[in-house]
Amino acid sequence: MKWLRGWLFRLGALFGEQRRERELAAEMESHLQMHIQDNLGAGMSATEARREALMKLGGIEQTKENYRAQRGLPLLETLFQDLRFAGRMLLKNPGFTVVAVLTLAIGIGANTAIFSLVNGVLLRPLPYREPSRLTIVWGKDDRGKPGNLGYATYVDWRAQSKSFEELALYRSWSPVLQTLEPEQLSGLRVTNNYFRTLGVHPQFGRDFRPEEDLPASSQVVILGNGLWQRRFNSDPRIIGRAITLNASTYIVVGVLPANFQSLISMDPHGGPVEIWGVLGYDASLPWACRTCQHLVAIGRLRPGVTFTQANAEMDTISSAIWKDYPKEYSAAGVILTPLRDHLVGHVSAALYILLGAVSFVLLIACANLANLLLARANHRQREMAVRTALGAARIRIVRQLLVENCLLAALGAMAGLLLVYWTPQLLRVLGEDELPRLGEVTVDSHVLLFTLGVALLTGILSGLAPAFRLSKPTLHDSLKEGARGTSTGTSRRVRNLLVISEIALSMTLLVGAGLLLRSLSQVLGVSAGFDPNHVLTMRISVLGQRYNDNQKLRQFFASALASIRALPGVQSAAVTSQIPLGGNVDRYGFHVEGKIHANPELDESAERFCVSPGYLDAMRIRLFSGRDISDRDTSTTQQTLLVNETTARSMWPGEDPIGKRVKLGGLDLPWWTVVGVVADVHHSGLDIAPTMQFYIPHAQWPFPDSDMTFTIRTAGPRDTLTSAVQQTIHALDPTQPLSRVMPLEDYIGLSVQGRRFSSILLAAFAAVALFLSALGIYGVTTYSVAQRTREIGIRMALGAQPQEVFALLLRQWVVLVVFGVALGVAASAALTRFLASMLFDVRPSDPATFVSVVFLLVGVAALACWIPARRAMRVDPIVALRYE
Amino acid sequence: MGERADVWQGTLALMVLKTLQALGPLHGYGIARRIEQTSGDLLAVNYGTLYPALLKLEQEGYIASEWGTSDNNRKAKYYKLTRAGRKQLDKEAREWEQTTEILARFLAPGKESA
Repeated sequence: MKWLRGWLFRLGALFGEQRRERELAAEMESHLQMHIQDNLGAGMSATEARREALMKLGGIEQTKENYRAQRGLPLLETLFQDLRFAGRMLLKNPGFTVVAVLTLAIGIGANTAIFSLVNGVLLRPLPYREPSRLTIVWGKDDRGKPGNLGYATYVDWRAQSKSFEELALYRSWSPVLQTLEPEQLSGLRVTNNYFRTLGVHPQFGRDFRPEEDLPASSQVVILGNGLWQRRFNSDPRIIGRAITLNASTYIVVGVLPANFQSLISMDPHGGPVEIWGVLGYDASLPWACRTCQHLVAIGRLRPGVTFTQANAEMDTISSAIWKDYPKEYSAAGVILTPLRDHLVGHVSAALYILLGAVSFVLLIACANLANLLLARANHRQREMAVRTALGAARIRIVRQLLVENCLLAALGAMAGLLLVYWTPQLLRVLGEDELPRLGEVTVDSHVLLFTLGVALLTGILSGLAPAFRLSKPTLHDSLKEGARGTSTGTSRRVRNLLVISEIALSMTLLVGAGLLLRSLSQVLGVSAGFDPNHVLTMRISVLGQRYNDNQKLRQFFASALASIRALPGVQSAAVTSQIPLGGNVDRYGFHVEGKIHANPELDESAERFCVSPGYLDAMRIRLFSGRDISDRDTSTTQQTLLVNETTARSMWPGEDPIGKRVKLGGLDLPWWTVVGVVADVHHSGLDIAPTMQFYIPHAQWPFPDSDMTFTIRTAGPRDTLTSAVQQTIHALDPTQPLSRVMPLEDYIGLSVQGRRFSSILLAAFAAVALFLSALGIYGVTTYSVAQRTREIGIRMALGAQPQEVFALLLRQWVVLVVFGVALGVAASAALTRFLASMLFDVRPSDPATFVSVVFLLVGVAALACWIPARRAMRVDPIVALRYE
Repeated sequence: MGERADVWQGTLALMVLKTLQALGPLHGYGIARRIEQTSGDLLAVNYGTLYPALLKLEQEGYIASEWGTSDNNRKAKYYKLTRAGRKQLDKEAREWEQTTEILARFLAPGKESA
């Protein structure tokens, strides 16, 4: 406690400075007087008495200084002095300050922005109880890829495994809320232990109960807080009440808390899930079979169980199950994906690359600032020399300069934080669907700490070289009257080195951005297999008692299409169960007659599209051979299907597929006959090669889909047509909600959104880097022109031509650019392979990109040098000689 | 007279406290003189080092100071022992005695060889 008291005392001494000084002086004075009095009494002369007293005191100033050191906190005091001085210096040079602060604001702001993104999306723990124990458990298929599972498998897993505290299931569900205005909701059906697995409790009401999770029991749902507010006016009496979903009655048993984040969903473009119903399966249901793989398992590991242990245990269990049911699985084994990786894993590489890129921008900003400071250092040599002469230690000068820099960096950081304030909005525009957890991107304590750290580092990093340069005792020369701020060879070399590294760093960023942009353009150049222009799409879920038999359902779509086709401006119209690039994939086993494996699970599978006649026409998907399906293909005629080129090539190589027969999704249903071969359509992404696909007529499929998307090719403007189509469908049945009314092009846009997001950001960083480097080159050239004005004047007075002067400056420029570019090429070649996973159809060492970046960089560098060099050529010798 | 030893750090504080206990409130000059006299002029006190030491003791709360008037009507800052200072003096004095006693035993001639 003693030291604490002492420190408080000393801290207090920082204030009331003047009074204390006066007291100290008075005390010294009274001491001296008493001593002199005594000495006089001892018989000394007046002079001697005073001399002796002063000697005994050991020098009044020294004593005072010792006293002051004990009184205050010298380190803190000088820090305040330094800060005050730094503030004055910055105010005195507003031009320099503004440029420096802006440079830093860009560097620090961009870093903070990207860090806040990384922090929110990747670093923050998931908002569930002990999220590190949560994992998705996939079945493994014969290609080693993760896959969904059937309910029977889950029952076995749950009974046999000991690694999990809870193992739950979920499946996709998009119910239509039919209370008041019908609305298509994004939902999930889950086992009753789903929320217990996540560690989430409803805010109102209760969780699902095991006895509700059975086929015969009453249907219950839990609402998300947002849905509850939006549709039920935040009415807490909703608990226990019935709502109508998909024409059946459901009881609301719970409402989730507002801070619950709905991150888990089955539909990538469906928005956050807002409603959860119980799964209600048991093993007796036909869709609970082992091959009915439409469920996803999520588990919570027991405390202390590692992912590897759990995986090993599950592998053993899975092998045993496969032995018992050899025809129901294509392979044994499971794949555990930690929930975090499942939710954000796909964006982590891109985010870390962006963080790396943005740190390059900061380095460039640092180099620029260091250059500015070095240039200024020459003007401040006199100041420092005077300080040194007055006894300032070298470390004191270095410290003062570093404090100045840190103050600059702090100002820059503050300006940068303003930039960060708008980050979430900006990012939402760029990557709404692509980045999970965007809502968590905020400025929290981690982000602030990061900014503080970056700012300090920046201040010190950019200040070290100039500080040491200035603190070097070159007293003698600098104090001499009229001595020009001579720039020594070392400082010029340091400045050149800084510019070279700036060029190299920008080059790396430009190459990275170039590669990503080229990939993006390559992807956009991929033919989707259909023509997305002038096609309007809208989704509809048809349900209710009126459509409880296949015929009525088919009739609804047939009449809707007939009315839509009759609208003016409609060229063609059709419906499909899956819209290409819509994020929904429905795969069926594809069993070709004569080529069926002993274990039919080993047969290939293909994407299914259940379509109306006219689909190929509306989408402009090319028909290669055979015929399109038509209205004459009905439930009573031969079952027909179309296959895509990939299917034809891989199933019937060298044969004509027309007339061949297949069974779909199992062997117990009748044969389907191929009647036509159509072009491949990119369904999972433009950058993903199409797989096997087939199209079956909605009129023939035994379980006709009720959730369909209209595709309407228009001739005229789309907007007026949209409402006309909506009215037409409304006229047929006003209770059916339409959702996702959007042009087909938007699906293409959505599918490349992630790619566009990282490309645009990286390109923006590269542009900033290029700008900063250009500024650096400009600064260095301007500076050397200013330094050599006298020399240039003499040369010109002696008859040198402007071109020769230009050549002089050019030489320096060439050295900078050549070294910078060479270094940049080497660095890029080393770094771009980290981008490989994000590239499409472009090699990391793509020569075209490298060459164009070199040209761009050299061009910009030339411009940055040319402006000051031109000024040098115009130097008037007379003026130059009088200069200084 | 041999060399005069400088006052070593730490002991000066003890001497100050003891002086104040013996003489009551006193100004800096008086403390310095008293220490020199008590040491029989064996110690050379640089009077300048005394003031930081006094300040430190004050910061630690062992002494307090106030302005007063000296014998010959001069304004001077007087220091006096606080309650904490008295305790500290007892403690330090005890420790010091212990230390010297131990050292004395070490240095006493011939005891352990006997």
